[in-house]
Amino acid sequence: MVFLSLSSWIRSRGPDRYWKVQEIIKHAKHFRGRKNRCYTLAVKAVRRAFVYATKGRRLKKRNMRTLWISRIAAASREHGMKYPVLMHNLTKTSVQLNRRVISDLAITEPRSFLSLAKVARARQQEGFRAALGDGKEPAGIFSRVVLLQ
Amino acid sequence: MTSRGTPSRFLQSVLQNGVGRYVCQLKRLSIIFSKNAQSSLGIREFIEEGVVDYAKNNPSTVVYVSPQSCRIPKIVAEYLNGNVREEIVTSKTSTQISEVITKLTNQSGLDIIRLRKPFHTDNPSIQGQWHPFTNRPPSIGPIRPQKQDA
Repeated sequence: MVFLSLSSWIRSRGPDRYWKVQEIIKHAKHFRGRKNRCYTLAVKAVRRAFVYATKGRRLKKRNMRTLWISRIAAASREHGMKYPVLMHNLTKTSVQLNRRVISDLAITEPRSFLSLAKVARARQQEGFRAALGDGKEPAGIFSRVVLLQ
Repeated sequence: MTSRGTPSRFLQSVLQNGVGRYVCQLKRLSIIFSKNAQSSLGIREFIEEGVVDYAKNNPSTVVYVSPQSCRIPKIVAEYLNGNVREEIVTSKTSTQISEVITKLTNQSGLDIIRLRKPFHTDNPSIQGQWHPFTNRPPSIGPIRPQKQDA
């Protein structure tokens, strides 16, 4: 007996399954266990990973800022000042450096950071004199805010 | 697209290119197009007008022009570090193709993946990087546990 119509019963149910599966599994290659090999498990794990990545992008900005703030606080405490005092006085002297730059200066340029701390300290003293004094002394140098426009 | 799942690199230049002489990183440009198809119209115009001027302006890049019977015209750029980049130029005008080619000329051959930082220095610290003894002269004395008289 010769089965001639057997080959016409074979259908190709979509020739792209391999590549569609690989698109998902390539994002799961560094996972642990069967999630990096088996499609059903990988789909769930990859979706979770993408959701975490999206949430993490917003968290990263917050975490970096808290890291910078704690570094600036530690560096200013070495010079005998606290973080809120430093930042408030720097904004009052219109030093518009952001926390990222100040923390990088504290790490790689310790003497520049010391001079920033001294500027903030001077402005703080002028503020005290203006508040506690009688208004007879002129305002200090660092209290003059220059608008260059 | 997780940051751990996709490759990333740091910003760098190829062997400090540009500090001394600038070496164009594009080694070879192969233009594959068809002689009679509508999609290669812009490529054919570019080859009529712009290719020779481009080759004269960039003497360090070899330009190969290969007409084949193909459905999609391509420009294949090979760089000095071995990376190969293919740009598909179906139905682009001659000006758009020259823009694509200038973009490929100005690229270094490094991978086009996520850059971890948009900056890079070899000398990040000029005044000396902070270490625990920078602001602590030896006259202060060694670190001792705090005496708590309980």
